[in-house]
Amino acid sequence: METSNRELQAAEYLERHRIKELVSYLTSALLFFRPEKPREYLISLLERLRIAKVTGVAFPFFMDNSNIVAMFEMMDSSGRGTISFVQYKEALKTLGLYTEDGDLKDDGHIITLDKFKEEVNKRMKEIWSAF
Amino acid sequence: MDSTTAPHRIPPEMPQYGEENHIFELMQNMLEQLLIHQPEDPIPFMIQHLHKDNDNVPRIVILGPPASGKTTIAMWLCKHLNSSLLTLENLVLNEFSFTATKARRLYLQRKTIPSALLVQLIQERLAEEDCIKRGWILDGIPETREQALRIQTLGITPRHVIVLSAPDTVLIERNLGKRIDPQTGEIYHTTFDWPPESEIQNRLMVPEDISELETAQKLLEYHRNIVRVIPSYPKILKVISADQPCVDVFYQALTYVQSNHRTNAPFTPRVLLLGPVGSGKSLQAALLAQKYRLVNVCCGQLLKEAVADRTTFGELVQPFFEKEMAVPDGLLMKVLSQRLDQQDCIQKGWVLHGVPRDLDQAHLLKSLGYNPNRVFFLNVPFDSIMERLTLRRIDPVTGERYHLMYKPPPTMEIQARLLQNPKDAEEQVKLKMDLFYRNLADLEQLYGSAITVNGDQDPYTVFEYIESGIINPLPKKIP
Repeated sequence: METSNRELQAAEYLERHRIKELVSYLTSALLFFRPEKPREYLISLLERLRIAKVTGVAFPFFMDNSNIVAMFEMMDSSGRGTISFVQYKEALKTLGLYTEDGDLKDDGHIITLDKFKEEVNKRMKEIWSAF
Repeated sequence: MDSTTAPHRIPPEMPQYGEENHIFELMQNMLEQLLIHQPEDPIPFMIQHLHKDNDNVPRIVILGPPASGKTTIAMWLCKHLNSSLLTLENLVLNEFSFTATKARRLYLQRKTIPSALLVQLIQERLAEEDCIKRGWILDGIPETREQALRIQTLGITPRHVIVLSAPDTVLIERNLGKRIDPQTGEIYHTTFDWPPESEIQNRLMVPEDISELETAQKLLEYHRNIVRVIPSYPKILKVISADQPCVDVFYQALTYVQSNHRTNAPFTPRVLLLGPVGSGKSLQAALLAQKYRLVNVCCGQLLKEAVADRTTFGELVQPFFEKEMAVPDGLLMKVLSQRLDQQDCIQKGWVLHGVPRDLDQAHLLKSLGYNPNRVFFLNVPFDSIMERLTLRRIDPVTGERYHLMYKPPPTMEIQARLLQNPKDAEEQVKLKMDLFYRNLADLEQLYGSAITVNGDQDPYTVFEYIESGIINPLPKKIP
């Protein structure tokens, strides 16, 4: 069955405003912090986002630098300082930062901590700028 | 942190929190509204939506042929659920709207109002404060497919649609007895629904166009249109027969409206089965565990396994077994925690039976954090239990279990050597049942949202009831 015009329109709307990532972020925050009043908490998160967007103040990241380092170290169990490409892709998927564009190519280079950090930060900035 | 070497382990508090606060449905509703309205600025829209907090208000549409009792049911539902009623008349008689004035002119001249105008009226009315806060009930709209589609394009979606149906002859006859009270607008009937107070009786008026011919014509048109409206609401529709007393129709409508539809929310069942000895708890638990791959946790079984395996807990439990005394609550809870904290219980869910026996055990369970999300009380009358238990026998040679009524032994030879478990003697059974019934009232009060199932039927029927209790969301109770 071909997708109707409205369906395509809706899918494009989701892409443009990065709604999926936003909802994913909100749900993760809710389940992690488990506030007593979920609605009020969501409202406060969204207000912070709105203000951050308007004033250009730093966005409330879900994962900060130390988390990224910790994640890398957990994956790199033997302490070589690099992780495999498959692990790298899976980690991005876990964080919800992996898009299906396939722009990740295994160019034979090993993924170091710096590259990992850089990539995660880049993708997060991309998402936040769309809100 | 990646799923390549080991699967993710999600702490059980997260899914519990998600289920209790209906996070999935909350997010789903927000996303639905976003996609329907597609605002350019999603964040302020979402903030506004969350402030409204109207995910669970009633949004009902009642359809049906003339004289089926739509307006009566709609008015009763309104009073009960405290929502706003929208009918063609009160939409048109709204004095504060410009569109309403246009529509009123047409209505008073007895011309049909064009669908576009009608739908615009509805949209205006639904945007008002009381409809947003308390919900709405549409009586008799949409009548045609065109109206239904227009309403849908505006993003107005009801959550429950009730269609009343009755044979035409009944309806024509019923319509002849219709009377209206001009002051309150309530509809009465000469035979079925006569008002008790004489002052109301005196002021009742006969409405126009209730003669047989006119009713028949209206019925024809209704049948022509309703066939095309019904497919617009596939999963939320329910047809209720209007050919029964008003109260019955109302009761069915109310139960339907209060039930929630099945959602796609992730759900790990944590089922608690309570009931007197012999009510079938172990059997139902085994069936559930087999079909849904839950972990079957039987308290008595756990203790016996601990003793047999001679674990540390087993050593502590053994003296109680030898003296045939009940195991103390603290020890019991430790053994239970050990089992329920294992990864397969957390991930797959569990079916618990045999505990809690009384209020103290129930409080202990709660304090340890093992909260069931479905509780079932299996009700079986005393005589059935006696029949089920006292006729149980076991064959000492082959180990087969028989029942003298439900599964008799095939030959006389086997029957001659059957033995009865001393725990199944009449006195013992009576003792255990008394114990259960003494604690029943407390347990029922603690587990307020429990579902009672009639256990006095064949096992597969009981299983189906339990299944539907688990799969369907718990019905809301009106405060």
